[in-house]
Amino acid sequence: MPGEPLRKILLVEDDPDIQVVATLALSADGDLSVESCSSAREAIERAPAFRPDLILLDVMMPGSDGFTALESLRAMPETAKTPVVFMTARTQQRDLERYRGSGSLGVISKPFEASALAETVRRLWSGRGG
Amino acid sequence: MKSPALTEQYAEALRLYFERGEEQELLRAYQLGRDGLAAGLGVLEIAALHQQALVAALLQMLAPADSTRIARRAAEFFAEALAPFEMSQRGFREANAILSDLNRELERRVQKALRRYRQARDELDEQKRIDHVKDEFISIVSHELRTPLTSIHGSLDLIRAGLPPDAPETTRRLLDIAHRNSQRLVRLVGEILDLQKIETGMMPFEPRPVAIGPFLEQALEANQAYAARLGVSLALEAAPQDVHVAADQDRLMQVMANLLSNAAKFSPKGAAVVVAAELREAGLRVTVTDRGPGIPETFRKRVFERFAQADSSPAREKGGTGLGLSIAKAIVERMGGRIGFKTASTGTTFFLDLPLARGRAESQPARA
Repeated sequence: MPGEPLRKILLVEDDPDIQVVATLALSADGDLSVESCSSAREAIERAPAFRPDLILLDVMMPGSDGFTALESLRAMPETAKTPVVFMTARTQQRDLERYRGSGSLGVISKPFEASALAETVRRLWSGRGG
Repeated sequence: MKSPALTEQYAEALRLYFERGEEQELLRAYQLGRDGLAAGLGVLEIAALHQQALVAALLQMLAPADSTRIARRAAEFFAEALAPFEMSQRGFREANAILSDLNRELERRVQKALRRYRQARDELDEQKRIDHVKDEFISIVSHELRTPLTSIHGSLDLIRAGLPPDAPETTRRLLDIAHRNSQRLVRLVGEILDLQKIETGMMPFEPRPVAIGPFLEQALEANQAYAARLGVSLALEAAPQDVHVAADQDRLMQVMANLLSNAAKFSPKGAAVVVAAELREAGLRVTVTDRGPGIPETFRKRVFERFAQADSSPAREKGGTGLGLSIAKAIVERMGGRIGFKTASTGTTFFLDLPLARGRAESQPARA
């Protein structure tokens, strides 16, 4: 719901270095708690217990990619309505069209400005429809 | 009637018939044949005339237009024309030989055409495959380069942001260098991909009428902060009211950003970069003028080449990739426009000639 604060973010990212950088960048905002995992499978296992307010989802991951992961998350009652933001290094036109059509809150393209990541996510969060 | 003259007339009549299919020419040939018999020519001599006529037909086939039609007509004629005559065994053998030669020739031509067709088809499939592989390659390179860059650039960004105020000056400087250069790499990857996309036709262009006045104001506003960091101001001098160009707005904005940032980089501190637009015969000309030192004579020819930067140019020092202007040129030309420059030791003007939007009233409301 709009107006609700953003507190918990689940970060799904297979690259361990980016995982660390993004976690640190988001944690610089003292009000955010971040859990990270490195595959769609792990995300599906952990999301029900963690109950994130928002999921940051990498697109190109080994195993199932971000789009498949999104479908699986939508199929679970705990995360059926959790806003999802994609993170991607693929910004080909047809990819962008796919992100738009996927029902995600937005896309953050890599490389992102790490010092502004928390702010970017908050902006997307407050722009979400009711 | 002497036989050489008869032969020529006969061949001429047949050639005209084969070429144009005019029945009267065929009748004339028959008549000439009968005249020949009456003048005492033998059957074999008449057959020789037919042969010559067939050679003429074959020669016609070398110009391949409608060769099947001509050959068929020649064969029909041959069969028909020989029938009334008492032919010797030899005459028929010759006739057969000629016909089967003709058939072989036709067969060869059909096979050749077929081979050419199959080759063209295979080449097309191969081209499609190559395009697909290229597309995949770009996508993968884009991902593979950007992934390590994300953590490098992100780390540097976070360290810089969290640097304590009493950090040693050297640390600060080295961090700035690393950060600036990682930024440059990020841009470079993006621009190489852009250029590749334009060249492979994969960059979408959606030309729509763009109101030039508001567009230029927006372009200046978007690049003001960058120019200000270099101590340069951007000024819009003049733009005709209510003029629309046909352009892809986002791409045109990319071009303006490139021209404005270049102009700012080359301007002396405190100077202004002046943007103007004027209507010309062929469309609208947008100009971006700086008060920089001008483009060196030796470099002028290579300005739009990739990775071409004048030696020790401020653009290189200030993080340019050397691809901006070649991308700008590709984009402008893709939109049916033109880019160029005039330069002197007191400054440089880059200009864009853009086509005006036509039938604007019809094309505008359809925007869903």
